[in-house]
Amino acid sequence: MGSTPVAITGLGLVSAVGASVTALRAALDRGQSGLRRLTLFESELASEFPVGQYDGDLVADFASVRRKLGAREIKRLSRSDLLALCATAQAVNQSGLADAALSPAGVYLGHSVCGTNRSEAYYIDCFRRAQDGREQTRAGIANLMVHEAAQSVDAIAREYGLCGPSTSLMTACSSGANAIGRAAWLIRQGRADVMIAGGTDSLSRITLNGFNALQLVASDGPRPFDAERKGMTVGEGAGVLVLESLDHARKRGAKILALLSGYGHSCDAHHLTAPHPQGAGAFAAMKSALIDAALQPGDIGYVSAHGTSTPDNDKTEALAVSRLFGEGAVPVSSTMRFFGHALAASGAIKAVVCVDAIQRRTLPQNLGLRTPLTESRLDLVREPRAAANLRHVISNSFGFGGNNAVLVFSRESGPAA
Amino acid sequence: MAAIITGVGVVSSLGADPVSFAKGLRGGRSGCALHDFEYLGGRKVSAPAYLAMPADAKGLIDPKKLRRMDRLSRMCAVSARQALAMAGIDASTLNPARTGVVFGTAFGAMATTQAFVDSWLKQGERHASPLNFMNSVHGIMASLIALDLGITGVNLTLSQRDLSFEGALVTALEILESGEADTLIVGAGDELTPLLHDFGARVHYVNLDAANARGLDPFAPTDPTVPGDGAAVIVLERADSKRKPLAKFEAAAMGRLGKTDLAAKLLSSDLRSIISLATTNRGGSKRAAAHFARRENALDGLLGRELVKLTHRGNFGDSPSAGALQCVANVLMLSGGEVFAPLAAGEIRRDLVAGVAAPTAILHDAASVSGTHAAYVLTQA
Repeated sequence: MGSTPVAITGLGLVSAVGASVTALRAALDRGQSGLRRLTLFESELASEFPVGQYDGDLVADFASVRRKLGAREIKRLSRSDLLALCATAQAVNQSGLADAALSPAGVYLGHSVCGTNRSEAYYIDCFRRAQDGREQTRAGIANLMVHEAAQSVDAIAREYGLCGPSTSLMTACSSGANAIGRAAWLIRQGRADVMIAGGTDSLSRITLNGFNALQLVASDGPRPFDAERKGMTVGEGAGVLVLESLDHARKRGAKILALLSGYGHSCDAHHLTAPHPQGAGAFAAMKSALIDAALQPGDIGYVSAHGTSTPDNDKTEALAVSRLFGEGAVPVSSTMRFFGHALAASGAIKAVVCVDAIQRRTLPQNLGLRTPLTESRLDLVREPRAAANLRHVISNSFGFGGNNAVLVFSRESGPAA
Repeated sequence: MAAIITGVGVVSSLGADPVSFAKGLRGGRSGCALHDFEYLGGRKVSAPAYLAMPADAKGLIDPKKLRRMDRLSRMCAVSARQALAMAGIDASTLNPARTGVVFGTAFGAMATTQAFVDSWLKQGERHASPLNFMNSVHGIMASLIALDLGITGVNLTLSQRDLSFEGALVTALEILESGEADTLIVGAGDELTPLLHDFGARVHYVNLDAANARGLDPFAPTDPTVPGDGAAVIVLERADSKRKPLAKFEAAAMGRLGKTDLAAKLLSSDLRSIISLATTNRGGSKRAAAHFARRENALDGLLGRELVKLTHRGNFGDSPSAGALQCVANVLMLSGGEVFAPLAAGEIRRDLVAGVAAPTAILHDAASVSGTHAAYVLTQA
């Protein structure tokens, strides 16, 4: 991608810290975590573990900005769909793209649980009826219809009248980053001028119970790269970028927020949930992203780590970062304590964080850090740090199955201030 | 865009390997039979369905690895191994970083997901099954194939309803074109579980009438359809591969353009002139039949001639991943220089292929009620 970077002209975000980039900036600057008690659904675990839940009214949020989707259709959407639509509305508005320019565009979104928050509710009702010997009914069956990942993609396409390539990518927690990377590829190959890309995932019982079953959830929330880290916090949200070819963005006089200049991916082929012990896959993905961006490790001014705060992830990611960049050679932070781990949305939310860092020349802090891990020495960003010369940053996203995706973001042009 | 297919693998109701699958298609066999489904609450129904035969992993996959795989993952992993074997590829000789997996699935590991949810509904949320959770993610099939083969290149899973395979295929072709990989294992898989059948019955999407055990009729469908499952894989390589090709991809695209706009965009005048056969994703749903008919008529208008359009879902059933099975059928027709007469409610429709010569180029046009469409052109190698 080095010779043909892609312009980012719109950002959208819904997360535990709020539903705008402004809310994100405020949280990052104040060091204000969005983690809270789960209220979205009843759970035996609600009092035990905080979650990264968005507390606003998504239906109202979206209803206020909707364009084509009708009120009845909105009622049928899943929480993941609404998260994605709200973030998309912000990104499209910021891009200033007119309908005619949007029409040929496509949409790539990363998912992991899709419409599970509704389909699992329906299934649980059916299960309880079966247990109690009550008759099954068709009531609530619409909840099942929104289970599929393509639902969000199709809803965005309908809302904006998009005709371009559209699909959902499902590579667990690297889905959002992969969706952005693949969408950018389409633009650089001339297959599309504009793409909407990102990731979305809502909280659900499946993910909370699942990560708890794997003993990966921490009762005191995530403390990424801390020596005493105990695990992650499950979150939700959506991050969406409007991507454009540089020519397209420049011709219409769009404000270019940053460039997507590289994308790399790899598969550990090691274990379904545990990362490679030396971070081999993470290293390979970061290296291939740098090659794609035609950059050297020394060009990178910040690493937005996956940093889930699980003992294995942080250790192996730290090893991989140190191997590629040198120990303590590049500032690193994980923003997991702000949002929780929003799974498929995580890479897309971090993409928004990275673009914001480039724009403001400020690195986000690694909230929750007390004593840095000992396995590898990292330059961890303990509080918002000014980075006047910041030109290129990378963002790591790793998922189940050893699925690794890395994005490189760059300042558009001109000398660093 | 050109890329070649060097191997195919398939686990289906028609056969659990490419040879049996081809034999079934050639012989006009139906994979449909009456199967028993136990719904939530214990209600049992016997209904027609195209359930895939058991995937025989013997000699293909290490039993230790096999134990970690559920039915769907086995179907996919066995298909992948079959495809590599047909291509004459020893996985250990591949450059792992230049080899990848691109898969499609609409519903993913439904049975395992249900087992996971059941584990905490029955025993409490603190007692959920970790094993079932890690095996419930949509990307599990692609991850397990990578683990089985030790390949570390691109690993993607796409989900776009009944066009998930086509989405994976288009993405895989893009990856080869960009030079990110040399060899890709591309496929799709979905399973029909009692839960899905139950839900399908509740929304009147699946056929419960035992009289339809001969299978669906895609050319005069009754509403609802006869569902099925299965997995299929192709080995896709760069056009400069030294291995013997079975068929060649000339073009492929996916988007939300109306009727034949996608095909129009895809087909150069050279391609339009050589296409001798079309396949579609017509299934057994009466509701969608009119939509397909309009689309097929428009396709004829685009090409300026009436093209024979086939679908073999009457043989192997309607499932979200049936596009992968159709792709394997298309490769087999091109590589074998033959046309498989399709099946309609158990009857071989030889009339549909009367006088049709062995195809040299096949256009596959797939439409989804969601508004997304996909098309590709396959030619003889």
